[in-house]
Amino acid sequence: MIEVSTDWYLTLAAILFSIGFLGMMIRKNALIMFMCIELMLNSVNLTFIAASRHFGTIEGQISVFFVLVVASAEVVVGLAIIVSIFKKQSSASVDLLRTIRG
Amino acid sequence: MELLLLVVVFLPLLTAIGIKIISKFLNELLLNFITINSALLSFATASGMFVLLFINKYEPINLKFFTWITNPEILFEFTLDGLSGVMMLLVTGLSVVIQVFSTSYMSKDEHYAKYFVYFNVFVFSMLLLVMSGNFLVMFFGWELVGLSSYLLISFWSKKQSAAKAGNKAFILNRIGDFGFLIGLMLTLNTFGTFNYDKVFSKVLEGNIDNLTVIVICFIIGAFGKSAQFPLFSWLPDAMEGPTPASALIHAATMVTAGVFMLVRISPILQFSETGKLIVIVTGLLTALIAAFSAINQDDIKKVLAYSTISQLGFMFIAIGSGAYVAAIFHLVTHAFFKALLFLGAGAVIHEMHHEQNIHKMGNLKSKMPITATTMGIGTLAISGIPPLAGFWSKDEILASTFANGGFYYIFWALSLLAAFMTAFYMGRHWLLIFHKDSGNDISDIHEAPKAMVRPLLILGVFSVFIGFINTPFFHGLEKVLHETLHYVEITHLPEGITLIVLAFVSIGAGFTGLVLAYLVYVVEIFSYFKFKIPFKDEILALSANTLYLNKVGDIIFVKGMKSLTRKTAVLIDGLMIDGLVNKISTLFYSSSQKISTSQNGLIRSYVVYFGFFMLLLIGLFIATPLVVN
Repeated sequence: MIEVSTDWYLTLAAILFSIGFLGMMIRKNALIMFMCIELMLNSVNLTFIAASRHFGTIEGQISVFFVLVVASAEVVVGLAIIVSIFKKQSSASVDLLRTIRG
Repeated sequence: MELLLLVVVFLPLLTAIGIKIISKFLNELLLNFITINSALLSFATASGMFVLLFINKYEPINLKFFTWITNPEILFEFTLDGLSGVMMLLVTGLSVVIQVFSTSYMSKDEHYAKYFVYFNVFVFSMLLLVMSGNFLVMFFGWELVGLSSYLLISFWSKKQSAAKAGNKAFILNRIGDFGFLIGLMLTLNTFGTFNYDKVFSKVLEGNIDNLTVIVICFIIGAFGKSAQFPLFSWLPDAMEGPTPASALIHAATMVTAGVFMLVRISPILQFSETGKLIVIVTGLLTALIAAFSAINQDDIKKVLAYSTISQLGFMFIAIGSGAYVAAIFHLVTHAFFKALLFLGAGAVIHEMHHEQNIHKMGNLKSKMPITATTMGIGTLAISGIPPLAGFWSKDEILASTFANGGFYYIFWALSLLAAFMTAFYMGRHWLLIFHKDSGNDISDIHEAPKAMVRPLLILGVFSVFIGFINTPFFHGLEKVLHETLHYVEITHLPEGITLIVLAFVSIGAGFTGLVLAYLVYVVEIFSYFKFKIPFKDEILALSANTLYLNKVGDIIFVKGMKSLTRKTAVLIDGLMIDGLVNKISTLFYSSSQKISTSQNGLIRSYVVYFGFFMLLLIGLFIATPLVVN
C-alpha cells in the first residue's frame, strides 16, 4: 500500500498547472484558454488545501474560498466577453484580436 | 548754490520729457518758444555758475546728488571745475545757437517735435558726461551720448542709408565703450573707488601696477567716441542725420567726449609713456588719413566730416604731447568754427533743395553773401590764418609738439603736413561752393532765412575772437584749467624766437594750402600748363575711398565674421549640437521600434513572457537564502 503523502498532491497540482499553462500558450480558442485558466486556478487551490492539511492550519482553506469566489465572478465576466467576441467575429479565436500591438 | 548745477544738467532732460508729453498740443512756434527758452535758461545758469567758479578762483564745486550704490560706495555726483565749466558753457551755448538754426532748418518736418526731444536728450547726455564727478556717472553720460547720437543720425530712418549709418555709429562706438568698460572695472578693482579726486590722489601717491593697462583701456574708449583711427569710419556716414544735428555732434557733443575724457584722466595718463605714445601716433595717423581723404570728397558735409576727424586727430596729438590745455583750447575753437561750417553747409543745402554735391554748386557767393562770408571765416579759421581762432589753438598744438624735442620733431613735421592739407581741402571746399563758376544754374538760389543767418553771424564773430582766450600773451584758458590740471605736468610752449618762427611756419603752411587750392581748383594750373600728375587718378580714388579702409574693414570684419559665423553654425550648431540631439532622438526611435515588435497582440506570447518572468522569480526565490529576521 503506497501512502499518499503531501508530495503527491503537490506534484498533481504542478502537473495540472503546467497543463493549464501549456494550454494558454498553444491554444487559440478563447473558451479553451478560459478553461485552462480555471485549471490553473484549481491547481493552486489544490496546493493550498494540501499545504493546509500538511501543516494543520486553516489559512489555506480560507484562501481557497476566496479563490473560488473570485473565479466564479470571473467566469461570469469572462464568458460574457467571450460571447460578445464570438458574436462579433463568429469565431472564438483570440489570434484575430490583434488590434492592440506594437 | 550747488543745486543750480542740477538745473544746468537736468533742464534739457525735463524739456525733452515735457515736449514729448505735450507734443500733440504744440505747434512749431510754441515748441520753439519752449525749447529755446529752456536752452537759454540752461546757458544763463551755466554762465552764472561759471562766474561763481571764477570768483572762487576755479576751486572745484562738488555736488553729491544721491548715493547710487552703497557697497562700494558710489555716489551720483557732479563736479564743476575749470574743465567741466568750459565744456558746460560750450555745450549749453552751442545748444542755443544750433537750436535757433534748427527751428528754420527742420521746419515743416513731420517729426519736428521728435527732433527737439532727441536734441535735448543729446544735450542732457553730454552735460551729464562733462559734469560728472566720478567715472561711473561719466560712463552713464557716455552711453547716453552714444544712444542719442544714434537716434539723431538715423533720424530720417525711412531712408535705409540713414538707418544703416546710425547702426554703424552705434556699433563702432560699442567697440570703444567696451574698452572704457574694462577700464572702469580695472579702476574699481585697483583703486576701490570711482571718484576722480580719490583715484588721482592714489595715482600720485605711488606705483600702480597695471596703470598702463587702465590707461590704454580708456584710450580705446576715447578712440571710439572721438572717431580716431581705426574707429573713425562712422563719422563720415553720420552725415545722414539732419545737418544741425551733425553740427551738434561735431562741435559740442559726442566727438569731443573722447578728448574731454582723456584730459579728465590726464593725472593718470601723464604717468604712462606708452599710453601717450599710442595717443599721439593714432592722432597723427588719423589727422593725416582724414585730411588726405577730405581732398577728394564730393559731398559738402563729408568734407567737413573728414575735417572734423582730422582736427580731432590734432587734439589727440596735443594730448599725446602733454599739452592738455592746447587740446581743450583747440576743442573750444574747433567747436565754434566747425559749428559755423556745418550750419553754413546746412544753409547751403537748404537753399540748394537738398543737393549736397559740391560740383553742382559754384559761385554761390553772389547769391548768398552772408553765408559765403561766414563760411569763409570758418575756412580761414580752420586753416590757421591769424588772428582767427584756429590759428592760436593749432599753433599751440604744433609748438607744444615741437617743444617735446627728440623724435617729436618728426611728429611736428607730420602735423604740419596735416595742417597744410587741412588748409588745402578747406580752400577747395569753399572755392568750389562759393567762388568758382561751375556753370550750374543757380538763378533760383537766395540767401538763407534769418533764423539760419543769425546763428551763422554769431558763430562767425566767435570764430574770429574766441582764439584770444588763450594766446601766448594772455593765458586765459590755462588759468581756468589750472586747478583741474594741478598735478599734471603740462608741456609748455617754447620761448621767444622759436615760438615766433614756429608760428610763421604754421601760418605759412596754412597760407600755402589755401593758395594752392586756389591755383589748382580755380586757376586750374595743371591743365593750364598741361602738366600731368603721375598716378593722379589712383591718388584721387584713394582719397575718395579713404584709402579703402572701409573695404578692408568690410573684408576682414564683416565678410570674415560672416564666414566664421557660417562655419560655426554649420560645425558647432549643425553638426555637434543638432547632431547630438538628433542622434539621441533617433536612438530612442529605432530602439522603441525594435522593442515594440514584442507587443505583437498575440495573447499566447504574453503568456510566454509572463511564464518566463514567473520562472525567473521562482528561480530567484530558490537561489537567495531564506532570511529569518
